[in-house]
Amino acid sequence: MTEQIQLTEGERRVLSELLKVDGEIAAESLAQQLGERTDRVISILNSLAEREIVRLSVQERETFLLTDEGAQYANEGLPEVRLMRAIVDLGGKASLSDAVEKAGISPKAKGIAINWCRRNGWVQISKEEGQTILSATTEDPQSEVANVLSHLASGAKDIPDSLQDGLKQALERTLVKTQVAKSFLAKVRTEKMDLITEALSQGTEGIIDLTPEMLMTGAWKGKTFRPYNVEIQPAYINYGRKHPYAEFIDWLKEILVGLGFTEWFGPYVETEFWNNDVLFVPQDHVAREVQDQYRVTKPFDHGDILDEKHYRAVKAVHEDGGNTGSIGWQAPFSREITTRLVLRSHTTPVSMRYLSTHDSPPHKMFIIDRNFRAEKLSASHAQEFNQCEGIIWDKGLTLRDLMGYISEICKRVGIKKMKFKPGQFPFTEPSVEGFAKHETLGWIEVAPGGIFRPEVTYPLGIKDTVLAWGLGAGRMYMASMGIADIRELYSRDLTWLRRKYFVK
Amino acid sequence: MIVECSIKNLLDLVGKKLTIDELEHTLFMLKAEIEKIEGDTIEIEINPDRQDMLSVEGIAIALRAFLGIETGLPRHPVRKSRKEIIVKRGLEKIRRYIACGIVKGVEVSDERIKEYMRLQESLTATHGRNRRKASIGLYVYDALKFPVIYRPERPDKIRFVPLGYESEMDGPTIMREHEKGIEYGPIIADFKKWPLLIDSEGKILSLPPVINSNDLGRVTEETTNIFVEVTGTHLPTVEQALNIMVTALAERGGRIESVTIRYPDGAVLETPDLTPHTMTIEVEDIRALTGLELSSEEIVTSLERMNYDAQAVGKRKIKVKTPAFRTDILHPVDVIEDVAIGYGFDRIEPMIPSTMTAGSLRPLTRLKNKCRDLMIGAGYQEIMSYVMTSPETMNSRMRRAQPLIEVGNPKSRDFSALRNSLLPVLLDFAAKNQHADYPQKVFEVGDIVIPDEKRETRIDQRAALCGLVTDTRVNLTDLMNDIGFLLRGLGLEGRFRFRSREDSSFILGRCGTILIDDEEVGYFGEIAPEVLEAFGIESPVVAFEEFLPESGNWKK
Repeated sequence: MTEQIQLTEGERRVLSELLKVDGEIAAESLAQQLGERTDRVISILNSLAEREIVRLSVQERETFLLTDEGAQYANEGLPEVRLMRAIVDLGGKASLSDAVEKAGISPKAKGIAINWCRRNGWVQISKEEGQTILSATTEDPQSEVANVLSHLASGAKDIPDSLQDGLKQALERTLVKTQVAKSFLAKVRTEKMDLITEALSQGTEGIIDLTPEMLMTGAWKGKTFRPYNVEIQPAYINYGRKHPYAEFIDWLKEILVGLGFTEWFGPYVETEFWNNDVLFVPQDHVAREVQDQYRVTKPFDHGDILDEKHYRAVKAVHEDGGNTGSIGWQAPFSREITTRLVLRSHTTPVSMRYLSTHDSPPHKMFIIDRNFRAEKLSASHAQEFNQCEGIIWDKGLTLRDLMGYISEICKRVGIKKMKFKPGQFPFTEPSVEGFAKHETLGWIEVAPGGIFRPEVTYPLGIKDTVLAWGLGAGRMYMASMGIADIRELYSRDLTWLRRKYFVK
Repeated sequence: MIVECSIKNLLDLVGKKLTIDELEHTLFMLKAEIEKIEGDTIEIEINPDRQDMLSVEGIAIALRAFLGIETGLPRHPVRKSRKEIIVKRGLEKIRRYIACGIVKGVEVSDERIKEYMRLQESLTATHGRNRRKASIGLYVYDALKFPVIYRPERPDKIRFVPLGYESEMDGPTIMREHEKGIEYGPIIADFKKWPLLIDSEGKILSLPPVINSNDLGRVTEETTNIFVEVTGTHLPTVEQALNIMVTALAERGGRIESVTIRYPDGAVLETPDLTPHTMTIEVEDIRALTGLELSSEEIVTSLERMNYDAQAVGKRKIKVKTPAFRTDILHPVDVIEDVAIGYGFDRIEPMIPSTMTAGSLRPLTRLKNKCRDLMIGAGYQEIMSYVMTSPETMNSRMRRAQPLIEVGNPKSRDFSALRNSLLPVLLDFAAKNQHADYPQKVFEVGDIVIPDEKRETRIDQRAALCGLVTDTRVNLTDLMNDIGFLLRGLGLEGRFRFRSREDSSFILGRCGTILIDDEEVGYFGEIAPEVLEAFGIESPVVAFEEFLPESGNWKK
C-alpha cells in the first residue's frame, strides 16, 4: 500500500501557499499572505511538521522596542536636540537658563540635554559675567539616536546596520530595550513533494460546509463532502476545570461522607488553649516554641477563654491530673500562655471544638483543612499543609475498633495492604500508626490515630472513649500524582494546572 | 530522636542473634523504627515518650524483655555511698534542683564514652528542654573531694578552664566566647549570680547548665568511676534524667551508689532513687480500652515483656511496678497501652466498624462546590493558593490599607500574614504566569481572615470566591455577564444588583459593588494600571471577588 496524505482544508491552504515559496518562509509572512491569524498558521504548521510533511525550525532573534522614556523622546524630541534648536532660534548663542526656558525641557532633563550637546560637540560652553553661555557650533544638529527612536516609533522592530551606533547609545541610555522574538520558519520537505502534490490534487471537490440552505433545498443530494483529517491529535485548548488537588480532596470527602462522617470546621487562628492545652500538650513542649509554631502578634496577640469551667478543668489536669487519675505535668499552668494566639498547627483543635459543642453520642466527624507550621518553604517542607482527620465518639469503643476504622478508611482510599505499629501523640493513649504498602516507596506512614487520653476528654465531661484518626492526605496525593516536590501541591504554574489531572 | 549504634554491640547487649529483618520487626512493635543501616552502624528512631530508650543500653533492656530473654523490672541495686552534696541558699529562682549518683566500674573505651555523651546530649535536648529544665554532667569520681557544693556565684568571680580549652576564662568570657556559653548561656545570663558546682577543695566541676571544667569534667578511657550530676528547674524531670543516665551506665557493668543531697531548707534527699512506682489497674479497664479479652495471666506476661513487674490481685486487679526510668507513665492508660504493645500490635485483630451515623458535608462546602461548578462552566480554571502571604501583596501593591493578621516569627516576608482577600492572591498568580497561553481565566474559592476584636480568637474567617480574566484586551461587560451567570446559577435572580463604586485598586468609572438584597457582598472592576505595575503584570485584568455566607445560603 502506498503512503497517502490526508489534508484538512486549512492544511491545504497553507501547503499550497508554501509550495509557491522557494525555500524557507516565516510563519508570520505566510499568515499575512493567507490573511490568517499567525497562531492558527503555526498550529497547522506544527501538525504538518509532526507528520513530517514540512520542516519547521524555530529562530530566535533580538528585536527592539522603546522604553517609556524613549517613547516620550520619540514623541517630543530628544532633550539635547530641543536644547540645540532653542539655542539656534536664540541666534546661535544664549545663556543656559534662557535656552532651557525656550526649549521647554524639564529641570530633570536639563542635565541630560547639556551633557549630550557637549558630547556630540554641538556647543561650546563658556562663562560670561557669572552666567553659563552656550554657543552652537552647528546649525543643524544630527542625532542618530533620534533616528533610531523615530524608526522604532514607526512600528519597526529591527534596526538597520546604518543606525547601529545610534542604537548602541540608545541602549546605554535605556531609551530602547531588547526583546527576544521567536519566529517559526517553514519549508516543504522535498522528499514528500510528490505525495503533497498528489494530496492537493485530490479531493478538492465536494461540499465544504453543510448549510441550512442545502438541507432545506436538498442541494447536498448526490454530492460528496470534502474530507477532514480525522486522525490528527487535537490541539490543546484551555477551558475551565478543577484543580487536581481540589478534585482529590473532593474525592476524600465523598468517601468519608459515605462512611457516615460529618464535615466540621474551625478557625485558622487559635488560642494555645485549643491548639495545645486541651490536648494535654505540656506548656513547655518544644512544639510550642517559635521555631515550630507561628505566633500571631498583629493586630492582637491574645484571645479569650469562653468557658471558665472548662479552663479550670484543663488547668487542673495539667497541674496535677485533676479528677482524671493522672499525675499531670506537675508544673504550674499559665493563663498567659493559654490565651496566646497562634496559627493552628494541626486540625485536632477542631475535633476538640466539635466534642465541646456536641452531646449524646454516637458521632462521627471529619475535617480536611489547612494548618500552619513555622517552616521555610522548600521541596520537602511548607509553611502550610492540609490535614485530614476525624473522630468517632460512641459507647464502648476500643483499640480494636480504632484499628478497624483506620483499616476501613485506608481500604476505601485504595490502600490494599497495611500494618500497625504502636505510636505516640501527646493527646492519645494508646496510639497507633498505620503503614501502607506502596508499590515503589515501600511501607509509608499514612494513618496515625489513637484514643483520646482521659486528660483530654474528662475536662469536657466525656467519659466514653473517643477514637481519633488522621490520614496523610497530602502524601497520598503526591504519591498518586508522582509529585516529589511539596510546592507543587499549590502549584502556581498555570500551564501545569491546565495539563494535569487527577483520576481515581 | 535518633540513636546511632553498632549492630554487633546492640545484639551483644541483647544476648541473642537476630537477623536485620527480625530486629526491624521487633523494634517496630516497640514503637521504634530503623532509619538507616550502613555496614555495622544502625540508626534507630525513638519516639519522644521513650526517653529511657535514647541509648543503646536502654534499647537493649527493652528488647531483652520484649523477646523474653530477661523480662520484668531490670535489677539495678543501689548502695549508699554516704557522700554528700550541699545545696546553698540563693539558687531557688535560678536552678534549684540537683540530683546526683555514682557509678563505679563502668566499661570505658573511646566508643563507649562517645555513646554516654550522646545519651547525655539527647536527654538534655528533649527531656531537659535544651538544658533549660534539666542538664547532665559526668565527672571523674576519683578526682573529687566530697562534699560537693552547689551554690550561686557572681559571674566575674567564676574562673576555670572550660572543657576542651587550655586556659582559664571567667564567667562572662565563657558566655561570650565558648560555643556552649553562646548556646546555653542565655538560660542563666540574666541572673545576678550563676549556679556553680565545686568540690570541697574549691575545684570547679562545672557551671551548670553551660559547661564542665576541663580537669574534673573530662571523662577519659581511664575513668571507670563516674560521678553523675543533674541540675534543673523541675524536680521530677531532674530525677528521671538521673535515673535514665545511671541505668544506662549500670548496663555497662557499673555499680550504682547513691548520694545524699542536703537542701538549705533542711530537706534531705537520697539520689538516685530507683524504687519502682506502683499502680493498681482494673482488669476490666484493660479489656475495655484494648478490646482484647485478656486473662490476668496474659496481662502479667504482656507487662513483663515491657519491663514491668506485675501481679494479679484477686481476679479483677493487677498490681504493677513501673521502672524508675520510665518518664511517660502518668495515668493507668499509659500502662494499658504497654499491655497492648507487650501483647503485640501485630496480633491485634481490627474490629469491623459498627457505629452507625449519617454523614454530610457542611452547607458552606456545598455552596463552595456549586460556585466552583458554575465558574468552571464559565470557562475559568480553578487554582489553589497558600493562605499565608505578605502585607505588600495584600495592601501596598493593591493600594489598600485593610486590617491584616500577621505572625511575629515568620520564616520569610512572603509568608508573614494571612490573606484578607483573594483578589491580590490571584493577581500574584497572574503575574507569575505571563508566559502561559492567553486568554487566562482563573478562579479560587477559599477562606480569608479578617481581624475582629470581638471574637474568641480575634478573627472573622470567611469564605470567598474570586475570578480573574487577563488577555491583551479585556472587557468589563463580559466579566459582568460572567458574574450574572454565576449569581443567577446560585438562584439570586431578582435579588442582586451592581452599583458604581470608587476603589483605589480599580480604574475609576470601571468598578462596581455587588449587592444581594441591597447588602454588599462583593465587588468587581478593571484593575488600576498602578496596581498592575506594582504586581509587574503587563496585560490588562478584570476581576471580581465575592464573599460567601457561612450558613451556605443567602437567607431571605
